[in-house]
Amino acid sequence: MSTERQEWRRKLDKLFVPLTVGPTLLWIAAIIVYPTAKLLISSFQFRNPVTNEMEFVGLRNFRRLILAREGSNAAFGLFNPDFVAFTRNTVVYVGCSVTISFLLGLGIAILLNKDLKGRGWFRTAVIVPWILPYVMSGLMWRWMFQADFGAINGLLQRLGIISGNIPFLSDGALAMVALIIADVWVFTPFIIIILLAGLQNVPEQLYDAAEVDGASRWSRFWNVTYPFLKPSILVALTIRIIFDIRALDLVWVMTGGGPGKATEVWASWLYRTAQVFNSPGSGAALGVVLLAVTFAIVATLYKIFGESPYEA
Amino acid sequence: MSTEKSRLNRIRRSLGLETQNEWPSVVRERLGTYLLLGIYLVVIWFPIYYIFITSLKPTSEVLSLPITFFPRDPTVQNYVDIFTNRPFEFYTMNSMIVAITTTIVCVTLGTLTGYSFSRHDFMGNKTLLLSIVGARMIPPIALIVPFFQIMSSPPLIGGLTGSLYDTRLALILTYTFFNLPFAVWIMKNYFDGVPESLDEQARIDGCSRWEAFFKIILPMAKPGIAATAILAFIFSWNEFVFALVLTSSESAQTLPIAVSLFVADDFVDWAHLAAGGMIAALPGILFGLFFQQYIVSGLTQGAVKE
Repeated sequence: MSTERQEWRRKLDKLFVPLTVGPTLLWIAAIIVYPTAKLLISSFQFRNPVTNEMEFVGLRNFRRLILAREGSNAAFGLFNPDFVAFTRNTVVYVGCSVTISFLLGLGIAILLNKDLKGRGWFRTAVIVPWILPYVMSGLMWRWMFQADFGAINGLLQRLGIISGNIPFLSDGALAMVALIIADVWVFTPFIIIILLAGLQNVPEQLYDAAEVDGASRWSRFWNVTYPFLKPSILVALTIRIIFDIRALDLVWVMTGGGPGKATEVWASWLYRTAQVFNSPGSGAALGVVLLAVTFAIVATLYKIFGESPYEA
Repeated sequence: MSTEKSRLNRIRRSLGLETQNEWPSVVRERLGTYLLLGIYLVVIWFPIYYIFITSLKPTSEVLSLPITFFPRDPTVQNYVDIFTNRPFEFYTMNSMIVAITTTIVCVTLGTLTGYSFSRHDFMGNKTLLLSIVGARMIPPIALIVPFFQIMSSPPLIGGLTGSLYDTRLALILTYTFFNLPFAVWIMKNYFDGVPESLDEQARIDGCSRWEAFFKIILPMAKPGIAATAILAFIFSWNEFVFALVLTSSESAQTLPIAVSLFVADDFVDWAHLAAGGMIAALPGILFGLFFQQYIVSGLTQGAVKE
């Protein structure tokens, strides 16, 4: 090999890290840092409907979103009643569906962790709802809950549980329940996979030891399984919660935030504000709030469930 | 009691003794487990079954009572219709192009970058890795406003004639934002599990860094690459919100959008929607059935570190 070529090889080797990491970093900066900066700037701006130009308005977008209009006699005093209502909807939606899918997912993961024949087959069948397009799932559930020709009413009637049709999606409270059922259906597989991976890290001998000590099922779970499961729980809950807060797909196609505003959550509110009402400033301000809340939730969960799994 | 017996058997087993016949309790527990799992599977698969049979019913049967749980006369007419009366071939093509290109970009960059993060200590590499992973935490929906603004404004780069709005390129660019950080993360964790001595051996044998990577390490990383590729493909294929905001015609709209178009304000064309939905769901179902272990390993590699 010629020395010239060796020289060239050495030079190329020195560039290994910059050439492999550089493009990704530049790309992520362009596609994430730039839009995020733009988001922050937009949140302080207002589009003048006449001139179509963006004007700097300081914190006015935030004030309009969160606080009650000056002089108005809002039920909740200081706050914008929409803000209060949509926050409550979001908390109910996310809180209920995360809790239910977590408990259900934990149960199924424990069952699947047993020494079963056809475990791979079960795991395959369990995972599918999560990999389907959320829009398809949302529309599918809308079809299931349809008042006249929906399968849920059909089944309930055939089983003799109800006589008339229940208009699931046109009643506020029922629409929220329907939404939660769909959400649990979609995301329980994710919880199952993550917790199953965690359960497989628990050394078998510890169970045997605990059993020999005469520990009850419950105490075995708390003292043996739970400590090993903690990192998985952290990941499952973090991703699940932040995903639910920001996910628009299911809500948008199932209820569109309705009936009325009964299922309007932050994600659909943001979309409506930014797109449908064509108000980028307010939408951006809401985006900033969402960003802040996401980081606050992640930080809280890390506080509760221990150290960061991102440590090397 | 039976639990007593199984406890005794466990102790005997751990001591290397032969176990007593413990089948009654074991069988009962197993049957219980299978029963519970069976019920769960029937319940979660029922909606998929129902949308599938809806796609095989003519509209007249879809909107008739009582509801049928087996199609009276199954037909594939709905599937034919959506390709003849609607440009489903365009939607499908858009979805394919967008998902495949995004996957290729994310896997290529993710593999190279993941490998460097796994093997090399360079300036601020921990911080950089954390910020890449942290980027995944940013709620995408928070960014729909800036993305819309960027994509619909005139291009910064010369050579492009118009804005990127309603192009497949806009979607490809956007989807790398969801998937690239994830790809880097999965691949980094995957390479962490490949022994470093292999690199060193290759280097001693006279390979350059590039050769060591491409000839020795990359072939060993195939399962990790498969996991990354499948997840990136599924995420891009299924994405809805950005496609909704950034596209407006069949020149870029993807299948999830196409499916949602069957919903008019007051009327939903359920039979055709179900057929379109099944087409959109197909890759997910196929990947789930055939590549489940890659999806699981990718998710757990990206999320829970062993």
